[in-house]
Amino acid sequence: MSAAVQGLRMTTLRLSKEADEPAEATAPGGDEALLSRRALAGDRAAWDVLVARHHRRVVVSLLARGVRVDRAQELAQETWARLIQQQQRGLLTELRLPNLALTQAAFLAADDARRARRESITGAVDELPERHHPVDPSVSAERRLLSEEQLSRAHAALAQVSPSARNVFLLACDGQELPHAEVASRVGLSVQRVRQILCEVRKKLRTALEEEPHA
Amino acid sequence: MLKPHLTRDAAEQYILGALAPEKAASLEAHTLECEPCARLLQEEALLSEQLEEVASAFPREAPVLRPARWDTRRVAVGAALATAASLALVLLSGGQRSTSPDAIATPTPPSLAGLEVEAGEPRTIVVACPDLATQASCTQSAEERGLLVQYPWGTGEVPRYEARTGLPEGALSARRPVSL
Repeated sequence: MSAAVQGLRMTTLRLSKEADEPAEATAPGGDEALLSRRALAGDRAAWDVLVARHHRRVVVSLLARGVRVDRAQELAQETWARLIQQQQRGLLTELRLPNLALTQAAFLAADDARRARRESITGAVDELPERHHPVDPSVSAERRLLSEEQLSRAHAALAQVSPSARNVFLLACDGQELPHAEVASRVGLSVQRVRQILCEVRKKLRTALEEEPHA
Repeated sequence: MLKPHLTRDAAEQYILGALAPEKAASLEAHTLECEPCARLLQEEALLSEQLEEVASAFPREAPVLRPARWDTRRVAVGAALATAASLALVLLSGGQRSTSPDAIATPTPPSLAGLEVEAGEPRTIVVACPDLATQASCTQSAEERGLLVQYPWGTGEVPRYEARTGLPEGALSARRPVSL
């Protein structure tokens, strides 16, 4: 237990360093399988790289579930601590990130919401979790799923953007969690330009997703 | 004093991880006090998750593997030169040693060079990746098909899959559990 907590502290330290130098600590996406194998074997450095690579995605997934930003950071840290503990106990047979971390985080968020609700039953109305959570996480879990129509509208909109912009978007959002610096080096653009393209594509896709369905 | 409300752009930059640490911390602190801004941040996070779904479900085009034509031409020119050289050798040796008895048996037939090139072609199919953007997927696709890839900096052989499982030899075919 103490080793896991110690490991988490190391990871936290690395995370704050990573925020300053996003391009350095993240290796190309091709070594994900190798890193996962090393992490499963208990390699702390491999865990650090994986946590740095996938932490933001875990936090964003928690935010999307309506968890407050400070609690989201805590739950994301707890997610990694749980995974490292499971690895140390030999309970992890394979490590598929970010999916495993997202599932663990979702479980923790749901557990957190249940606990808050249970505690609030005896408390005052002002302390109801709804006062603190913009949206109930259990409700937003269903909202997250896109309908077939939304998906096809988004795909149609994505097909209309330029091939290079589409490629940037797919590289950045295909689940590999490539840092923007890595995407930029792969497509031969600057990080600034990559972010600009991502914002443009996001706007187009947001419009497509928010369109009223045709009657 | 309450800090200024979030703009959608700022929330988007935060979700993308493009904000400076101090700006990100200030944004986080504000969303803890301001519910509409927390909701805006949640919307952006939700959109981000949805876009991940959109990207993962987007039908990927098979990478276009086009032959490196200039390289093929170079091979063809090389083959033609080899044929011409062997022909010249035959004629030359025929002219010089017309009286020698073993002159007819020793020269290589001119068609042999051509045959060798034809036989060698399937092993050296060279493809060129269209651009930097699709190079990774193109290389991967070529690798799966066991083709050579024309990189911008030269021709390289794509490493073949070697089926290393990390298990000791015979572990997969063993009838009993093998200690790892």
